[in-house]
Amino acid sequence: MNKINVKILLLFFISLTAQAKLAVVTTTTDLKALVSEVGGEWITVDAIAKGTQDPHFIEAKPSYMTKTSHADLVVSIGLDLEVGWLPSILRGARNPKINPGEKGNLEVGPLLDPLEVAQGKISRSKGDVHPFGNPHVNLDPIRMGKAAVFIAERLGQLDPVHMTSFLEKAKALQRRFESKTKIWQTRIDKTKIKKIVTYHKTLTYFFDRFHLENPAILEPKPGIPPTSGHILEVIQVIKDQKIRLVMVENFFDSTVTHRLKEEVPFVRTADIPVDVDGEAQINNLDDLYEKLVQTLEGK
Amino acid sequence: MRGYIFLTIFMVSVQPVFAEVKASKAFNPDISANFLGLFQRFNQGHDDRDQSNHNGVSLQEAELQMTSDVDPYFRASVLLSVSQAKGSTDSGIEPEEVFFETISLPRVTLKAGKFKAALGKHNQLHTHAFPFLDAPLISGDLLGGEGLNEEGVSAAVLLPTTWFSELTVQAMGTNNDALYNSSSSGHIAPVAYWKNLWDLSDDLTFELGVFGTQGNNSFTSTTSAYGGDLIFKWRPTSGGKYKAFVWQTQYMAGSRLGNPTGEKIGGISSWIQYQFAERWWAQARGEYEGISQSTTLPKKNKQSVLLGFFPSEFSGLRVQLDRLVVENLPNEYKFAFQYNVSIGAHPAHAY
Repeated sequence: MNKINVKILLLFFISLTAQAKLAVVTTTTDLKALVSEVGGEWITVDAIAKGTQDPHFIEAKPSYMTKTSHADLVVSIGLDLEVGWLPSILRGARNPKINPGEKGNLEVGPLLDPLEVAQGKISRSKGDVHPFGNPHVNLDPIRMGKAAVFIAERLGQLDPVHMTSFLEKAKALQRRFESKTKIWQTRIDKTKIKKIVTYHKTLTYFFDRFHLENPAILEPKPGIPPTSGHILEVIQVIKDQKIRLVMVENFFDSTVTHRLKEEVPFVRTADIPVDVDGEAQINNLDDLYEKLVQTLEGK
Repeated sequence: MRGYIFLTIFMVSVQPVFAEVKASKAFNPDISANFLGLFQRFNQGHDDRDQSNHNGVSLQEAELQMTSDVDPYFRASVLLSVSQAKGSTDSGIEPEEVFFETISLPRVTLKAGKFKAALGKHNQLHTHAFPFLDAPLISGDLLGGEGLNEEGVSAAVLLPTTWFSELTVQAMGTNNDALYNSSSSGHIAPVAYWKNLWDLSDDLTFELGVFGTQGNNSFTSTTSAYGGDLIFKWRPTSGGKYKAFVWQTQYMAGSRLGNPTGEKIGGISSWIQYQFAERWWAQARGEYEGISQSTTLPKKNKQSVLLGFFPSEFSGLRVQLDRLVVENLPNEYKFAFQYNVSIGAHPAHAY
């Protein structure tokens, strides 16, 4: 009888282990969308930042420490995007599995061929610069396809049983983004828009991917709010280069664009989401990229 | 050709040196410096430069901080503070916090060294992170100007609850002049702090903490101090770059048995902080000292208002007006302007 009980107990624990899902926490909703699609039913995933928040400035709420204290994996962008808050959360979580450099800590940004990596000596007199590169890799569908594969590999290291499933899903996502990127490029080409003004250098990777230019930024320097003098300079650039579109990331105050419209009647301004859940109906990265393309199309 | 060969030899020979320099820099600690400059004028103040709290301009404090992982098991932090020495115009340097702590243990952080005791939320803040230019009245009167900051050991445990719940227990020295000043270096005082935080919504959190300590004092008896924190913080997930609101209240009381000037002291400080634009904060604070207090100690009332402008994460300018009413003394009115500057490694902000 005792032997039977032991067997039942063993089976119970084996089934528990088999059903245990990897607990993943991501810093942004975009990464959550990727992890969710790649991990499928074998993981649970939660994001720290909301899609409507500026990911540079998230408060390190202790409740995030509780959340990450149970995590098997924390996925972040890196490139100093989360430098003001993620270290505090990781320290407070007291979870050695997710310490930087451990298998349970993945920074995807440095793996995605970052743009605008600082050369030579840098200084904060140039604003809130990121020495290791622009961290807004999330707006390039091709890079995010690659990120999905890196995430799948890391999930597979933590849960080798489902490695094949993770990789298959990641590669399917990557192929879908590659295919859609060609369609989005064609649609963007049709708009004849080549130059766009933004509030911050959030869309650098999107513009680089779709061969668009960003000749002026409303912030005089990264992280510094627009000044009257700088707005006048931007207005002059818009007039000189006949720029037709200004896109303002929707966690910034867009009232500054009222003045642009007064001075330059032909310019169109749009508040745009730049993260999944950044506004209603933006439920995944496909929706997000589609929204950006539609904004260029004037829809 | 000779030049080319020389250049090649030079490049080959210096490359490992550069690599060594780069590799050694990678192990350098994160280094940052912060300093606070102050201009203040108050009607009950004095113009004696030897006193640290004098009228006019002064360098309130400069801090140099170095932090790094030690090995796979520990992280260490060294924070040196430079400020005006008591009774002198010279500056003194002292180890404000020097400790190491574990990074490899689940659910708990063990710490040893000299550090700010977990006696409430405010006591753990450095001067540059104070919500106002000065500490709450009761903190200053009960714990002294530097707060409770001693040599000791600490264990902070994250409790297995669905909300954030952390229990910190510490054993600290009893050198603090205001609170203990015990006669023996062998005396140890326990400190405990239980901190809880709930997300009432994505925009709003509620924090509740209770804390206490007890130890030998200079009157060959014991001192105990205890209190609580109550904090509401609101920052909307949409538009939160431009507006936020904090309401924080701290109650603290102490019993210093044998103290001839008065054994019991207790007070409350409550303040609101309102962010009304991306870089602007307006704040107000009301304080009362005299709750369950010995009649020999004067009751105190204080009101403060503050306006803060923060050009970036690394600099801030603040103006504060105070009115202090102390029983049987003339009212004190004070104006103060402070600048706050940080350089070096990006700070990881505490919530």
